[in-house]
Amino acid sequence: MNTFVSAQTRKPDGDDNDHPQPGLTMKDTVLDRLILRLKSLGPLFLITVVIPTVVAILYFGIFASDVYVSESRFVVRGSNKSSMSPLGLMLSGGGLSGASEEGNAVEEYLSSRLALKEADSDGLLTRAYTAPSIFWFDRFGAGGKRDREHFYDYFLNHVKVEDETTTQVLYLTVRAYGAKQAHDINERLLERSEALVNRMSDRARQDAVASAQAEVNQAQDRARGAARALADYRDREGVIDPEKEATVRLQMISKLQDELISVQTQLSQLTSYTPQASQIPYLRTQANKLQQEIDAQTAGIAGGRKSLSSASARYQELELDTEIAGKQLATALASLQDARTDAERKRAYVQRIADPSTPDYAMEPRRIGGIFATLLLGLIAWGVLSTLLIGIREHRD
Amino acid sequence: MADTMEQSLPASPDSQTSPPLSQSLRIQRRVLGALLIREMLTRYGRHNIGFLWLFVEPMLYTLGVTALWTATKSVHGSDLPIVAFALTGYSSVLLWRNMPGRCIGALWSNLPLLYHRNIRVFDIYLARVLLEFGGATISFATLSVFFIAIGWLKPPENVLEVAGGWLLIAWFGGALAITLGALSHESELVDKLWHPFSYLLFPMSGAAFMVDALPKVAQDYVLYVPMVHGTEIVREGYFGMRAHAHYDLAYVIPFSLVLTLTGLLAVRWVSGRVVPE
Repeated sequence: MNTFVSAQTRKPDGDDNDHPQPGLTMKDTVLDRLILRLKSLGPLFLITVVIPTVVAILYFGIFASDVYVSESRFVVRGSNKSSMSPLGLMLSGGGLSGASEEGNAVEEYLSSRLALKEADSDGLLTRAYTAPSIFWFDRFGAGGKRDREHFYDYFLNHVKVEDETTTQVLYLTVRAYGAKQAHDINERLLERSEALVNRMSDRARQDAVASAQAEVNQAQDRARGAARALADYRDREGVIDPEKEATVRLQMISKLQDELISVQTQLSQLTSYTPQASQIPYLRTQANKLQQEIDAQTAGIAGGRKSLSSASARYQELELDTEIAGKQLATALASLQDARTDAERKRAYVQRIADPSTPDYAMEPRRIGGIFATLLLGLIAWGVLSTLLIGIREHRD
Repeated sequence: MADTMEQSLPASPDSQTSPPLSQSLRIQRRVLGALLIREMLTRYGRHNIGFLWLFVEPMLYTLGVTALWTATKSVHGSDLPIVAFALTGYSSVLLWRNMPGRCIGALWSNLPLLYHRNIRVFDIYLARVLLEFGGATISFATLSVFFIAIGWLKPPENVLEVAGGWLLIAWFGGALAITLGALSHESELVDKLWHPFSYLLFPMSGAAFMVDALPKVAQDYVLYVPMVHGTEIVREGYFGMRAHAHYDLAYVIPFSLVLTLTGLLAVRWVSGRVVPE
């Protein structure tokens, strides 16, 4: 630290570079001369160069806590085409499109309050960022601002998502004050992102399948209803199939008529040749019975309130209903199948390229660089201000 | 760095004998005020609307560009309202482009003034920079209020951020103007080169596009242009979250700071060599 002080304060001197200071007494005189020289430079130099540099040396040299950076890389694969602006599309050559919708969602999610809340569900982040081992300036809640909104700001300063438009790779970097903690937070956020993408793709698939499924359910209900109506009708009317029954009955009628004709033929023969035959009354009653039966059966098929022909009209209506409902069900099932295969293609997922790294040394803060940047900016500011002051002093009465 | 200190050193013992700083400041303010009025009178005269041209001129430019862009529905790579987009973009261009334009060669036309002991080279440049800043700011503000009043524009989301971005552009423009102005006194080449250069810089200055709309590769390069950052900040202040601005204060502020120092040193160098006619 001492070397820095002498290095930066020696600069304005310019003339004591050549003799190194071997003894303590010698150093004292050099220090005295330095102070004298600084005084002659005026308070402006003190304010713009010396104080900021001393503060930077103290902060970067001693106090600043080591920052470990954990990085992970991943791609969000989805089928959706990106929604890029025309200009962007034009400039990117049209071929390579930007991040997918899911990729954008992940990017937004990772810098949202929800991500902070979910990742901090068991206090992992709170513990990592408020540990007393962290220098108070770097620690969260140093200035007494411990509310959620400030923690969110703090979180945004420590977690960065960047996307590479051409390769669609997302870079997630997490800064923390411990290597393991940085890794853990990164891993946690990555897992949450995966869960988010899964949720989104599930939802997309469900949406696509849900309407087809609803259609199928409706068709099924309709088919079931039609079948039930038909069954009820059969129960009520005591017919299985009027068509078939009518055929059977017609066959029966024709058989009866055959019999009737043979009885009538026999009867007319007997009345012509042997009018006193004892079978005649018997045959007559038989013919009458047969005629009655034929009339009854004919009435059952056509005419009459309970005839098969009137039943057949209603039956055919019901049968048509079941047939249509069955066909609709088949179509609905086919479109459901289509929707399922379509949904399979809508699947989005997070593909990890590099798992969160566990840094083995602290990359930040860039201590020497920070000190030199402060010194340099201070010198430039001093140059500007002192030149301006000289300019102002040139005005006098 | 070393020579800035050499230059400042003789001033410090001198300051003990010289009058207090406040008095010098008062004199400089009076000089600047007088120069501003003189500048306005010599440039715009007293006929028709007189010094009002100071901001009517940039207003007409901006209105024209806004009308052109609205008519052609230019592609600017975002869904932001085109009037607001043109207004913020073109006003910013006027701000950084007119300052160097006015400062180049300013010393030649004002050489006789240097006979007055209290009129310094720096004052001449500063007066012109302030005049251009005032003109561009008034025109930007007037047009904004006008468009807001007739309902073509929503009020900015964050006025302070707009002002911050605007001041950043003005700082950069002023530093550039003073540097180029001082250098132009030594070499005519500056004047000749500035015109093509400013035209080439215009499409890259962020006036006609949002950085976010560019592909990543182009974004990295375009952010080396300092004006882009200021324009992005102004847009973010105007449109809020919708603009999605890209800027890096850690780049523009040191850049402007170094440019300011360069400009001030160039002015001192020119002051030492200038010969009043």
